[in-house]
Amino acid sequence: MDLEREGGRGANQLRPIDCSRNVLSRAHGSASCSHGETRVLAAVYGPKAGTKKNENPEKACIEVIWKPKSGQIGKPEKEFEMILKRTLQNICLLNVHPNTTTSIIVQVVHDDACAALIDAGIPLKYLAESGKILLDPNKLEEQKTKAFVCLAFPSSVHSVLTEGSINGIITSLTHGVMAVDDYFQCVEQGRAAITPLSNILKKKLQSQSAE
Amino acid sequence: MEPKPSTTPSSFTDQQVFPGDVVLDLSKMANQTIKLGGGLRQDGDVISVMKAGKLRFSKPNKYWVESSNKRYVPSAGDNVLGIVVDAKADNFLVDIKGPTLAFLPVLAFEGGTRRNIPKFEMGTLLYVRVVKANTGMNPELSCMDASGKAAEYGPLKEGFMFESSTGLSRTLLSSPTCPVLETLGKKLAFEIAVGLNGRVWVNAASPSIVVLVANTIMKTESLSPVQQKIKVESLMQRMR
Repeated sequence: MDLEREGGRGANQLRPIDCSRNVLSRAHGSASCSHGETRVLAAVYGPKAGTKKNENPEKACIEVIWKPKSGQIGKPEKEFEMILKRTLQNICLLNVHPNTTTSIIVQVVHDDACAALIDAGIPLKYLAESGKILLDPNKLEEQKTKAFVCLAFPSSVHSVLTEGSINGIITSLTHGVMAVDDYFQCVEQGRAAITPLSNILKKKLQSQSAE
Repeated sequence: MEPKPSTTPSSFTDQQVFPGDVVLDLSKMANQTIKLGGGLRQDGDVISVMKAGKLRFSKPNKYWVESSNKRYVPSAGDNVLGIVVDAKADNFLVDIKGPTLAFLPVLAFEGGTRRNIPKFEMGTLLYVRVVKANTGMNPELSCMDASGKAAEYGPLKEGFMFESSTGLSRTLLSSPTCPVLETLGKKLAFEIAVGLNGRVWVNAASPSIVVLVANTIMKTESLSPVQQKIKVESLMQRMR
C-alpha cells in the first residue's frame, strides 16, 4: 500500500494520541483524550441512587449525553449517544451496583473525526478506498473515501494465563459501500493495532495515577 | 493480543493493574482459600480485575485492588462522615458519597430508647460506623461501636468539612502518623475527623488555623512524604 497521505503517515500508522485523567475538579471522574486533532472531554457522575422508569432495576443504568462542538442537539448526537451507551453497557459490570444511574457527558472540543472511547475500549477507524485500506483517517481523507468503518475492540490485557487471547469486537459502525473481504481485512488490521494503542493509553494513565 | 506470560500472582502485586487483567489462575492453585477484597472478581476459573489501581496482597491469602476515587464504595467496619438528608420514622437517611443513601436507625445510639430519639436537622454532619454494606441494599450505619459504647461517634459541631478522594483519607489514617499531620501537630492545636469516604472535618480555636490545616492537607495530597514535610513547613512559616 504505497499511498501518499497528508503529513507523511504510512498506511498503517496512527495519529499521535494523548490522554489525561482527572481534569475536572467537580466531576466524579473525568478524562480528556486526543487523537491527532480530535479532542474530546468526558465526565462521569455516579453511581447515583435511582434508575429511569424503563430500565431494569437489577442492573445499573448508564446515561450518555453527547454535546457537539457547535450547533443544536439533533439526530446525529442522539445516535452517538445510543452507540456509546450500548458499547459501555457491554463493557461495564452492571450487577455490582443495582438500581443506580451513572451519567456520562461527552463534550467534543475539536471535531476532526469520530470521538475516542476511553479506557478498555478503543475505536479505530478504517476506510476503504477502491481496494486499499488506511488506518485512522482524518476528516479530509474520510470525505474522499467510499466507505469507513469504526470499530471498538477490547484493550489488550496482562494475563497470568499463557494461552487465550481475547477475540471479539465490542462495536462496529459502517458507513458506505465495501466488500465483505475488505471489512474482514479492516477488522484484522484493527486488531493488530490494539496492542500499541492500549500500551500507550496504559502508560499515560499509569504515570498520572502514580503518586 | 499478547498476554504477558507469567504464572506467579506475585508478579502483579504492588503494580498498576487495569480492568480485564487476569491476575490469578485458580486451576493452578489447588486447595487454597483466597479472600478477595474490592476491585477483584471471580470469572469462572480466573480472578480478573474490575477497577484500575494497585494490586495488593497481604499474607496469608488476601488480595485487593487499591484505588483512589472521589466516590466511596461502602464496606462494613468503615468509619465515615455522613450528612443527614432526611428523617423517617425508624431511620435517618444519610448521604455517605456512595451509590445509595445509607440508613441510620433511630435507636443506634448509646442508651437510645424510643423516648430520647436525637433530632438531627437536614445537613447535620455525623461521624458514623458502617455496620452492613451489601450490594443492592442501602448500607446500615450506627453511632455506637461494636460493644455498644458511644466512642466519639455522633454529630460534629462547628469546624469545617471538606471533600477529597478516598486515597487521601487512607493516607491520613495510616500508621505511623502521616507526615503532614505530624508536622502540623507539632506547632498547631486542632481536632480532625477523617472519614474513609473522602470527607475530612477540621476544628480549631481560630478560623485561620482551620483554614491553614485544611489547605495544607488538600495541597499535599500528591506529594511524597519528604516533599510533604517541606511543603508544610513552608506554609506554616508564611503564617507566622
